[in-house]
Amino acid sequence: MADMDPIKHEATERTPAVEFDFSAGRYRIAGESYPEDAASFYGPLTRGLREAVEARASETVDFSVELIYFNSSTAKALMNLFQILEDAAGAGVEVRINWCYHEDDETMEEFGEDFAEDFAHAQYRMCPTT
Amino acid sequence: MTTMTQPVNEAPPTAGGPGALSAEQVLGFQRGLARSGIIFSFTGYISEGILKALGDALRQKIRLEVDDRNTVNRVFSVFVEQVQNIIRYSAERIEHADEPPVELSSGMITVGSEEGRFFVICGNVIAREDADGLGHRLRELAGMDSSELRRFYKEKLREPPEEGSKGGSIGLIEIARRASEPIQFDFEHLSDAHSYFVLKAYI
Repeated sequence: MADMDPIKHEATERTPAVEFDFSAGRYRIAGESYPEDAASFYGPLTRGLREAVEARASETVDFSVELIYFNSSTAKALMNLFQILEDAAGAGVEVRINWCYHEDDETMEEFGEDFAEDFAHAQYRMCPTT
Repeated sequence: MTTMTQPVNEAPPTAGGPGALSAEQVLGFQRGLARSGIIFSFTGYISEGILKALGDALRQKIRLEVDDRNTVNRVFSVFVEQVQNIIRYSAERIEHADEPPVELSSGMITVGSEEGRFFVICGNVIAREDADGLGHRLRELAGMDSSELRRFYKEKLREPPEEGSKGGSIGLIEIARRASEPIQFDFEHLSDAHSYFVLKAYI
């Protein structure tokens, strides 16, 4: 199949920077996320990721989340992305998730720990930064 | 399309007469708010643009007052979830299929501080039939400690969205998690169709 075009969004004040390079297997979401309509912002990302892992667009998947703040509807969208990643890992794709947060940020640390519970097959790393 | 009738050739209010502008009154109103610890209060139609602008001002103000990023983040998060609840659930709303589409929801949002703690209050009209369910969910949250709220949030994230929900139930759990004591709420019956809903969270 033809390579899937990457998805790239610059960060806006309320939406994160997004880099989904499907053929390289490199994914990154960074910044703040409280969009007006989380479903329409994250829908294409969720569909793209699902399509890419089903088509085995890359041998490995490296997925980094570097969010400073996200609202509750974004949390739901992250959960959907993570379920796709865990399923892919269960099906044999080498998946690594990096949860990046400021070391003093208790909220993001707690969210990182909570999301970690759902991964049995994917590698999940907590990455505190200064 | 509505037309508004304008009074024609009406004389301006005379100085000191009824309806005249009084700096004393306006100042009194502003001081009254300040005495109640209010940092700002917004009443009227709220859009996502207003959420962004007020949120920025709020973050800057709280950063000046406290050095702790976790407090700033908690107040901001409670503020965003409360305003997005008004935008999504207020029963007083204007929708117009203009280009770009107009979508405005009416409500009130107030942020203040009291004895060293910040608080966020929101109020809006809801469908009366939704009041019981909302009250039930909020009582349930009020009975949970922080680790139970953390569990419950995660549980709700895993569930498929409820019928007709725009994600608000997780938003309420988020507010309860960031609050330093159980969130307070109340309803005022307005008519057979509508109730007024108010919520207050201390951070």
